[in-house]
Amino acid sequence: MTWRIILQLALSGLSIGSIYALVGLALVLPFKASGIVNFAQGEIVTFGAYLALILSGLGLPYLAVVPLVLIGAAALGMVIERLLIRPIVNQPEFTLVMVTFAIGFIIKAAIRLHWQDNTFSVEAPFVGPPLALGALRLNPAYLVFILSTVAVVAALFVFFGYSRFGKAMRATALDPIAAELMGIRIGSVFSAAWALSTMLGAFVGLLLGPVIGINPEIGHLILKGLIAAVIGGFSSLGGAVAGGLLLGLLETYAGAFFGATFKNLVPFGVLILLLLLRPQGLAGASSARRA
Amino acid sequence: MRTRVLLILLGLALLAGLPLVATSYYLYLAELAMINVIIAVGLNLLSGNCGQISLCNASFMGIGAYCSALCTTRLGLPTLISLPASVILAALLGAALGYPARRLSGLYLALITLGFLELVGFVLEEFPDYTGGIRGLKVPRPEIFGFSLQSNRLLYFFVFVLTVGAIAVGYNIQRSRFGRAFDAVRQSPFAAQALGIPVARVKMIAFSLNAAFAGFAGGLLAGVVGFIDPPEFGILTSIQHITFIVVGGLGSIAGSVAGAMVLTALPEVLRGVQEYGELVYGFILLGTLLFLPRGLVGLVARLEALRSAKPPAKEPAYGAP
Repeated sequence: MTWRIILQLALSGLSIGSIYALVGLALVLPFKASGIVNFAQGEIVTFGAYLALILSGLGLPYLAVVPLVLIGAAALGMVIERLLIRPIVNQPEFTLVMVTFAIGFIIKAAIRLHWQDNTFSVEAPFVGPPLALGALRLNPAYLVFILSTVAVVAALFVFFGYSRFGKAMRATALDPIAAELMGIRIGSVFSAAWALSTMLGAFVGLLLGPVIGINPEIGHLILKGLIAAVIGGFSSLGGAVAGGLLLGLLETYAGAFFGATFKNLVPFGVLILLLLLRPQGLAGASSARRA
Repeated sequence: MRTRVLLILLGLALLAGLPLVATSYYLYLAELAMINVIIAVGLNLLSGNCGQISLCNASFMGIGAYCSALCTTRLGLPTLISLPASVILAALLGAALGYPARRLSGLYLALITLGFLELVGFVLEEFPDYTGGIRGLKVPRPEIFGFSLQSNRLLYFFVFVLTVGAIAVGYNIQRSRFGRAFDAVRQSPFAAQALGIPVARVKMIAFSLNAAFAGFAGGLLAGVVGFIDPPEFGILTSIQHITFIVVGGLGSIAGSVAGAMVLTALPEVLRGVQEYGELVYGFILLGTLLFLPRGLVGLVARLEALRSAKPPAKEPAYGAP
C-alpha cells in the first residue's frame, strides 16, 4: 500500500462521493423549505437521464441537452409541488412519505413501460480515456463529477448568501409564518425549493447517465443520498455535501481493503449506526424528533 | 351491525365454497390473496393503529419465508413446527428493530426501516450457502402430521383456516388494551404518555406484532408458492403491502381484508393491459392518498352516510303526531 494507491482511491472516493453529495443536497433543499423528504428523488435522477436520452436521440449535442433537461426537471418539480405536495402539506407524515414514494413509483413504472429494463448509452464529451496526472490516473468523468459539485456548491453558496430570493428562502426555512408576515411569498419559495431540488437530481442523471449507462435502476442512488443527508444532519446543506464525500471515501476504502461484500455493507452500517447513536447527524445540533 | 355479521358470514361461505367451482389457478390466486390479508392485518396494527411508518414489512415476510423453508428443507421439521418458528423468529427480529425505532418517528423511522430492508436483502443474497442466494430456494408443500398437502383443495383450506384465525387474532388485538394504546400513541404520543401508557414499549410491541404477522404470512407463502428468492422481499413488496392498507383503510380490519383482496385480484382484472399494471398500481396509491384518506372503508362509510342522510327527512320527528 503506497501513497500513490491511497491518493488514487481518494480521488475515486471523492468523485463518487460528490455524486452522493449532489443527491443529498437535492434531498435536503425541499426538506428545509417545507419539511418534506422527497422519496421520489431517485426517480428524478432517472428522469433526468432519460430526458437526456430522448433529447440526444433528436440529434442535439450534449451541451445543448444539459440546459433543456434542467428546465424540464425544474418544470416537473414545480408541477409536483403545486399539484401533489402543497394540498397535503399538513397531513400526517405517513401520507407525505407515501405520496412521494408513489410519485417515484409512477415515474419508474412509466419509464419501464416505454424503455423496459434495457441499458442505453448517451454520448457526452467527458467520457474518454483516463488522463495521466503525475503518477495518478484520472478518469475525465471523475474530474467532471468533482468540478461540477464544486461549482454547484459555490453557486448555492452565492445564491443563499447574497441573492434576495436566496435570503427569502433561508428566512422561510427558519420560520415560515414570520417570513410570510415580512412579505415573502412562501408559496413561491416552496415551488423554488422543489424546482432547485429536481434540477439537482436531473443534473446527477446527466452526469451519471453517460458513464454508467441509462436504466431504470439508477434511482436506487437515493439511498446513498439519504445516508449523505443523515450524516450531515438532514437540515444542513454543507453537512449533506460533507456527508456525501465522507460516504464516498468510506465506501471506496472499505471496498479496496475488505472486498466488494463489505463495501456494499458500509452504507447501511453507517446509516443504522448513525440513526442509533447520533440521529442529529455527525455535526448537527439535536434536531431529530423523538417521542 | 346485523348486516355486517351477515356480510362476514356470506364472505366466509363464498371463500369456503370456492374450491367447488374454481380451477387450481384461481385457488392459488385466492391463497395469495389470503396471505396478503394476513400481511395487511399485521401492518395495519403498526401503521394504521399505531401510526408508525415501516418500509421493511417485506423483510419480515422474507425472514418468515426463509425460516420456514430452511427449517423444512435443512432440519426436516414438520410445518406445524416450522411455521410457528417463523412467527417467533420474525417477532424477535421485529422487537430488535423496534428497540432502536421506538425513539424515532417520521422521516428517521422511514430511513431506519429502509436500512433494515436493505440489510436483510444483503444477508439473503450474500450467504448463498444457507439461503440459496439469488438463485432462490425450493420449498416443499406444507404437511400436517406427516400428511403432505399435495391436493390443491386441502392446501386451500389449510390457508383459509389459518387466515381466518389470523384475522380473528388481529381483531382481538385491535380491541384489546394494546389496540387502544396503539390508537392513543398515534393520535398523540404526549397525551398517551401523560395517561400512563408506556409509549416506547407500546411501539416496540407494535413492531414485534407486525413482524409476527408478516413472518407467519411469509412462512405460508413459502409453502404455497414452492419457491422463494430475495427480490421477492424488496422495497416494491413493502410498498405493495402499504398500498393494501392505504387503499383498504388505515386502522381498520375490514379495510385490511378489502384492500389486500382487491389489489391481489387487480392484476387479473387488468390482464388485457398487463404492461400498465405497475403504473395503475402507482396511480391507485397516489389517488387514494390524495382523495380517499380513509380508503375503501371511508368511502363505504361516506356512501352510507349519504344514504341515511335522506330518509330522516321523511321520518316524522320524535313525538310528532
